Amino acid sequence: MCRIAGIISNSSVEFDRNEKVKRMCQLLKHGGPDDEGIFNDTAAGVTFGHRRLSIIDLSPKGHQPMTDVQQKVWITFNGEIYNYLELKKQLFGLGARFASNTDTEVILSAYIFWGIAAFSKLRGIFAFALYDKEKSLTYLVRDSSGIKPLYYYAQNGQLCFASEVKALKEAGLASEPDPDWQIRFLAYGHIPEPYTTLKNVRSLPKGEFLCWNHKKGTCNIHSYHIIRDKAYIDNLDQAKEAIKTTLGYAVNRQLIADAPIGVFLSGGIDSSLITLLASREKKAQLKTISIYFNEKAYDESMYQSLILKQIDGEKFTHLVKQSDFEGFLPQIIDDMDLPTTDGINSWCISKFAHDDGLKAVLSGLGADELFGGYPSFNRIRYIKSAKKYPVSLFKLANYSAFDAYKKIAFLTYNHPIADYLFLRGLYSPADISQILDADITEVEDVLFANRQLPYIDNYNEQDAAWFEINLYMQNQLLRDTDVMGMSHGLEVRVPFLDEDFVKLTESIDSRIRFDKTRPKKLLIDSFTDILPEQIWNRTKMGFTFPLQDWMRENQEITNDSLYRGRKSKNIIKAFKNNNVHWSKAFALFQIQMHA
Amino acid sequence: MTRTFAHSLFHISKKENWNFRLFSLYDTRYDLMSQYLPAKNYTGFNNNRLALGLASIKEASKADIVILNHINLSLIGIAIKLINPKCKVLLIAHGIEVWRPLSFIKKTFLKRYCSKIICVSNFTKKQMMIRHQADPDKCIVLNNAVDPFIKLPDTFEKPEYLLNRYGLSSSNQIIFTLTRLASSEQYKGYEQVIKAIGHLKQAFPHIKYILSGQYDSTEEIRIRNLIDKYAVNNEVILTGFLNDNELTDHFLLADLFVLPSKKEGFGIVFVEALACGLPVICGNADGSTDAIKDGRLGTSINVDDLSELQDTIINYLNKPLTLEKRQNLQNECLLYFDERHYRENLQKLLNDEQGA
Repeated sequence: MCRIAGIISNSSVEFDRNEKVKRMCQLLKHGGPDDEGIFNDTAAGVTFGHRRLSIIDLSPKGHQPMTDVQQKVWITFNGEIYNYLELKKQLFGLGARFASNTDTEVILSAYIFWGIAAFSKLRGIFAFALYDKEKSLTYLVRDSSGIKPLYYYAQNGQLCFASEVKALKEAGLASEPDPDWQIRFLAYGHIPEPYTTLKNVRSLPKGEFLCWNHKKGTCNIHSYHIIRDKAYIDNLDQAKEAIKTTLGYAVNRQLIADAPIGVFLSGGIDSSLITLLASREKKAQLKTISIYFNEKAYDESMYQSLILKQIDGEKFTHLVKQSDFEGFLPQIIDDMDLPTTDGINSWCISKFAHDDGLKAVLSGLGADELFGGYPSFNRIRYIKSAKKYPVSLFKLANYSAFDAYKKIAFLTYNHPIADYLFLRGLYSPADISQILDADITEVEDVLFANRQLPYIDNYNEQDAAWFEINLYMQNQLLRDTDVMGMSHGLEVRVPFLDEDFVKLTESIDSRIRFDKTRPKKLLIDSFTDILPEQIWNRTKMGFTFPLQDWMRENQEITNDSLYRGRKSKNIIKAFKNNNVHWSKAFALFQIQMHA
Repeated sequence: MTRTFAHSLFHISKKENWNFRLFSLYDTRYDLMSQYLPAKNYTGFNNNRLALGLASIKEASKADIVILNHINLSLIGIAIKLINPKCKVLLIAHGIEVWRPLSFIKKTFLKRYCSKIICVSNFTKKQMMIRHQADPDKCIVLNNAVDPFIKLPDTFEKPEYLLNRYGLSSSNQIIFTLTRLASSEQYKGYEQVIKAIGHLKQAFPHIKYILSGQYDSTEEIRIRNLIDKYAVNNEVILTGFLNDNELTDHFLLADLFVLPSKKEGFGIVFVEALACGLPVICGNADGSTDAIKDGRLGTSINVDDLSELQDTIINYLNKPLTLEKRQNLQNECLLYFDERHYRENLQKLLNDEQGA
């Protein structure tokens, strides 16, 4: 829930700080339509802002920024703490007293009693700023899966932060564009964390906290993740049982809400499973939101019906047509915050959920990454084999007549990011240099220099999972889902990424976890008692729209006179002839919009 | 260490008005960290041996001095000497890569074409003389140095965020090992520490052992089996890979650094630990003894003697260093191993070579 923003600066005037934070809050209003709050500490140069989307404790007691009884600590918080009732009980035992039923107050109390050790006790989706008046420190903290966003700009003894980049930009706090964002965007199809479109505006890494020292005007960033002895499961039955219990528990605790909650049901394995599990808990109160198309190749309504028959509760289904897409597109682009080639689907379904009266929904996001549901889990082996051949061989891919083969050129580079881009990338460095009229070495340096990454050398399913979770899901799926959901004042919750469930999955022997017989076999086998065979024994479609056809019909995207440079124009012409994937055309479309 | 070496050479060259180029076989240009060396002085060859060979020969045809950073580059060294006989070709001898029989080409290079062998420790120098009959006058010992960009502490308190992360408190006695945990390199001696911890946990109920470094899955299974075998599940914390920006804080967190390895050419990690005021225990049968200045900065032990390891750990744990003593240890370490000192020695070596 919510959107947050703030400024900490010894040198700024309170009025100026206040105005800028208010401006940021206005720009973030869509994600927090229910209330607004501003907190100022004049002496310390701190201003926090908050826009509220009320989901837990809908009363005015949930107003933020919030402080404790002694006004020692202040917080502005975006998200949900799913285990707040457990923590509250523990804190109560330690002598804490509470004035509200909010999870926000539990974070304050947890910090007061446990200090920074509190951060790792939180289970949920969150990004918050916490100001400790006595210590003259402010912490920015982000959840362990990076579900809630938090962007910051720390320059010249001043720290600014916000839930969306555009707030920092529009409030005039950071306006210089990052000169390299277009290169990253064309390679990835999104802007990878920690980068943004603005120079020195960074995304706080997941599972980490930034500690801002007010006196020094400097910060440190560290992980708050607790190292525990890793459990190890190499028994299939034990793994299935643990998955069943832990996912069921995750779904249940993520259904906590005082406002209407539902489930996105696409008809695939993951959303069907979440729907069935949620239905056990919420029964007739559970609402489902589904989308269907006239285009038969994309239509999953048959599978949706199979699940809908099994559950009670209100069922909302929506037909999405080409004309809807045409009407929505300008607003979708406006709501993106950062350029992306995905998120159209999330925007549409979030809009319908909002229009159907929901404030929070559960989504099946994360299961493909955790259990090997993508083709990349097989394709990654090709990279290992390819490393045996001379790299010059792969350079030939730049001359390929078939657009889809151009990505093979990424194998020229001995770099994990290049390996990822071979699996998931959009344009090759040679294409990017031509599109942007930039030197290819500049493109290569932007993509591959200065990134500390784990050593990837096995090229097995675990490495594929690392790529999918930490790059694709983190940078594209989760960011797009949050920003598109919040553009409609809708919170999207992701039970598969529940911290305890992720830890459990990672502790399972990879031979069991990535059984090669069938993608996501372990997950399916754990729930064969509730999941119909027609759902799991079907061709994977993914939650995709008929965008190849729709975008080719769009007058603006296909208007090659809008695009600068021969290369871009040629790509658009090829797209019109159906020889280029829509995501490439859509990326160029966004580049030209920023030109 | 190559980064420190490159940084020093760059500054020496700037001072002396020399032209300096660094070629790296395994790295690419994206691996360059420009705080150590500007991009114009560097080329990465992305594992392309032929390209490295040709570029080296071309560059060396006009060079006065070439330094090979590994014995495996001997063939390039020979080719350089044949094309440009006036060029002085020096070799850096690190550790295990030269403590073994060498091929005919490598031997020939050492004997006939190599002007100087820069040994990272006295132990390596000794090995060069015993195993390869290297001329003692050719072998110069130049110990490695503390990375100039490592964040050295000025206060020595244990970082709160790491105590939280590992579930520790100030009452814990923390032993720390940082090394690569590879199934192919089983000479680092951390299994000895695991065994020792198993014996010491009765006498030191608050003892913890933080074992850090990237590991492969085979080694992880082996280590976890060892942990089970010696019943130290509650004492050993396996952290995996450590980010550079948290390295110093881990040295501050610990009370003692232990790496009873058998095959350290020098052991730069010991010097880094000492530079953070952390006492160290190392092996006595490799280059590590140079890093502790033959006992002045730390303690070397026979790594096969478990009781000696245990006794040494007990000695340190019974007499933990005060914050002031940690500061002194840092100062003393930097007296020997700061980059300025290293750079002066390297410059003298190169000046001597040029004048020879």
